[in-house]
Amino acid sequence: MHQHEAHTPHGPTAPPRVGRRLTAAGYVRTAWVTPLFWAIGFALVVFFRWLGGYDPTVDWAIVTVVASLTTAPIGFLAGIGAFDYWVYYVAGRPTRPEDHSSHGATSWRDYFRVNTDHKVIGVQYLVTVFFFFVVAGLAAMLFRAELAQPDLQFVDPQAYNGLISVHAALMIFLFIIPAFAGLANFAVPLMLGAPDMAFPRLNALSFWLLPVAGIMMIASFVAPGGAFATGWTSYAPLASDQPLGQVFFNMGVQWAGASSIMTALNFLVTIITMRAPGMTFWRMPLLVWANFTTSLLVVIATPFIAASQFFVMFDRIMHTNFFTVAEGGYVLAYQHIFWFYSHPAVYIMILPGFGIISEVIAVFSRKPVFGYRLMALSLMAILVLGFSVWAHHMFVAGMAPWLRVPMMVTSMIIAVPTGVKVFSWLATMWEGKIRFRTPMLFAVGFISMFVLGGLSGIFLASVPIDIAASDTYFVVAHIHYVLFGGSLFTIFAGIYYWFPKMTGRMYDERLGRLHFWLTFIGFNGTFFPMHWVGLQGMPRRVADYAAEFGNWNLVISMFSFLLGASTIVFVYNIIQSWTRGPIAESNPWRAMTLEWQVSSPPPVFNFDEIPQVVGGPYEYGVPGARHAVLNGDRAPAATTREEETVG
Amino acid sequence: MRRGSIVRLVVYGVLSGVAASLVAVFVPWLPTSASEEMDRIEFVFWFTTVICVAIFAIVSAVIIYSVLKFRVAPEDDTDGPPIHGHTGIEIVWTAVPAVLVTAISVVSAIVLAQNDDLGSNPLRISVTAQQFAWRFEYPGEPPVTSGELVLPVGQGVKLTLHSLDVIHAFWVPEFGQKSDAVPGIETTLAITPTRMGSYSLVCTELCGLGHSTMRAAVRVVSRDDYEAYLASEREGGGAGEGADDGESVFATAGCGSCHAFGPAGSDAEVGPSLDDLAGAAESAGQPLDEFVSESIVDPNERLAEGYQGDVMPNTYDKSLSEDQLDGLVQYLVDGQANGG
Repeated sequence: MHQHEAHTPHGPTAPPRVGRRLTAAGYVRTAWVTPLFWAIGFALVVFFRWLGGYDPTVDWAIVTVVASLTTAPIGFLAGIGAFDYWVYYVAGRPTRPEDHSSHGATSWRDYFRVNTDHKVIGVQYLVTVFFFFVVAGLAAMLFRAELAQPDLQFVDPQAYNGLISVHAALMIFLFIIPAFAGLANFAVPLMLGAPDMAFPRLNALSFWLLPVAGIMMIASFVAPGGAFATGWTSYAPLASDQPLGQVFFNMGVQWAGASSIMTALNFLVTIITMRAPGMTFWRMPLLVWANFTTSLLVVIATPFIAASQFFVMFDRIMHTNFFTVAEGGYVLAYQHIFWFYSHPAVYIMILPGFGIISEVIAVFSRKPVFGYRLMALSLMAILVLGFSVWAHHMFVAGMAPWLRVPMMVTSMIIAVPTGVKVFSWLATMWEGKIRFRTPMLFAVGFISMFVLGGLSGIFLASVPIDIAASDTYFVVAHIHYVLFGGSLFTIFAGIYYWFPKMTGRMYDERLGRLHFWLTFIGFNGTFFPMHWVGLQGMPRRVADYAAEFGNWNLVISMFSFLLGASTIVFVYNIIQSWTRGPIAESNPWRAMTLEWQVSSPPPVFNFDEIPQVVGGPYEYGVPGARHAVLNGDRAPAATTREEETVG
Repeated sequence: MRRGSIVRLVVYGVLSGVAASLVAVFVPWLPTSASEEMDRIEFVFWFTTVICVAIFAIVSAVIIYSVLKFRVAPEDDTDGPPIHGHTGIEIVWTAVPAVLVTAISVVSAIVLAQNDDLGSNPLRISVTAQQFAWRFEYPGEPPVTSGELVLPVGQGVKLTLHSLDVIHAFWVPEFGQKSDAVPGIETTLAITPTRMGSYSLVCTELCGLGHSTMRAAVRVVSRDDYEAYLASEREGGGAGEGADDGESVFATAGCGSCHAFGPAGSDAEVGPSLDDLAGAAESAGQPLDEFVSESIVDPNERLAEGYQGDVMPNTYDKSLSEDQLDGLVQYLVDGQANGG
């Protein structure tokens, strides 16, 4: 970690001469370094296969894994400049730790370069993940068109399975998880009163891994045999002998996972070490608490999914036998390892959203968050319990029967801290002065949808009901109520809430409301009927289904197109407002947290002077209360750092 | 709180509760039960639903009340009262849900134990799943193998599930019970059918291209009809490995799940159609029966245009006897002649 002085960034430098452009970090260098690294990977494969006498010497499956999916992306990252500083350091060349030329953005071009400013990176994240959101959403539109009628009309079964798999993989690994990382990247250092993240260069690298992972997953469509087609769960042994597109998922997850882990480490170090004076753990905004908890989940759990995907891929390309029954492999091991990550992953995909909702509800109700400490503690409770419930995804998988009841009980108990959060949000609204701006609409929409998703979760936690409901559309309905009605609503709330801070401009309130209502209606029309369609007998992940479900599927598809159309309103509003919206005030919501105490957008190093935190973050309605003192205001007495409870 | 507010809050709660109850009662959420196990699952389902409707009613009452009562104009810049929390109420909303979910857990655990228990003498039927077909082996001397699941009504049945390739899952919605068929592991499923009729078995675990076509017919019949069914299968199929006439093999091995074939009445589109094998054999330059036999045993050797390899199982030389294979080839060859 290095503490920045209050530097101004270097002005735009003169364009370098042609020779230098080939070697300077940027897209020109990327254009030749990426093929070079691909060639290195290719040469490695050919050399070792030749050395070992394997036939054929050029095995394109292995070349794909090593050269196209491993060394070429490293070449891309090297070309774009993600490693420059470290390479200089290792090579003993002069490094310029106080050179802030890669910090901050003065034109839109700066967003397409390696940038170490957490605010720029936050925006880079969000724009990138919404690109993948649109791609994944279009995939959903295609398969909903196919499902509108029984029998096959538009796509064949391979293409259908590819569409559902890419839809889910992109939405989870390239949208929800990194969207929260992007919002937190922007907001957390500001909320802490810090000039940046603890490791700005690592932060930049984490971002640039994302386009690599996302393009890899989309590129699987052009692989021979089509895109990976085993669902986002990618169960072995089916995944071991699928067409080559499968390894694009195996490796895509590695890149996205590496990005997650690095960002999580960065958040942890930032939150533990870079809080402004007076910012004790019990004075941190709940968004910071939420990202602290999420980051702990990420660093502990993510290596497990990395392992599960490596095992599947090794079974294919190295002829290992992790999941090959005839050679002593154990099929259920995959599911245990996979869900040991992927259950905590659902909390990775919702806890940051809880944080956003706490901010929005308090600000727009003009009241302190009800039961602040219990809100923070319930996050920690979910963190701990989240690791003890993974096998509830496996009640029908054939695992040890004794494991079912204990996993049911822990799954049920996790509803308790989640309930505490919901009730506390309601109590925060109670007797408040509620203003229904767009972020608040999405926040209240989130609470109502998430309650429904939570209640259907209770049904699924009960083993006998789950035995009937698992692997059906009931499960599809449940995950969309928690991930769409849950996570995505919180992401929208967060985008609208921080939009003025990020861009310095105001979004269009009327279009925001329209977006909310279209989304709310389209969402419920799409996913609510899936509950009973599933219980009555429609399995998930089928391209074709029994004719009796035709009518409801037509209704579902119609609403899903409405839901798709609602995104157009959102994208139009964002682009229009970003370029031409009215200039935003520094604190349009009259919020207390630190990011609103600086200009919109904030200065390059956030605070001209380190803020002094003197109270809680949500002291709305408390006469004379302040969260922090900035810019030479005189701090009240007794501002020494209080005893810390954590860390 | 004033009394008027409490009345309004209660009214909203009752209205939401009634609305949710109407949705719960009038939407056909569950298929009509056809097994004792599904009856018990329905009990847990409705037990949980009652609790959830109550929670939903409380939450929506508070949301509706807050939205209507506490909303202010955007220009209003006053703050709400600085309430930071209330220990008593926080204890209540931690403890009450804990009690409720514990109740659901206890009921679920009891039903789970009952649903696993078939008594001392269940009928044992072995189920084998393979991309993309189901095969059922009935006990008796000699055992009977068929592609249709026929169960006697009122008799506890213990299904043992096996898979020859990837993970599949056995589910008949009206029976409620579900289990994966996992390669390398034997899983079991307890079902006690209570209602005679025809049902459909569907695979619920994504198992490859033919996943959505991997279905099988299920019939629940009287005890006498069950015995009669087994007897007729024994007669028609001969001893041991099951029937070896081509038509039965085509049905049992599940060829029709993926391939269209006129004489068998199948029109699936996962794999190439089998209606013009003569043309395909001709372009391959092989005699028809040799081409057909080779394509069944080693499907990746010669791929039909527009279809990819590694989809059709390449294990039929092991799973079918020589007689069955010959019968199947003959059936397909004859089908070419008949179809013209």
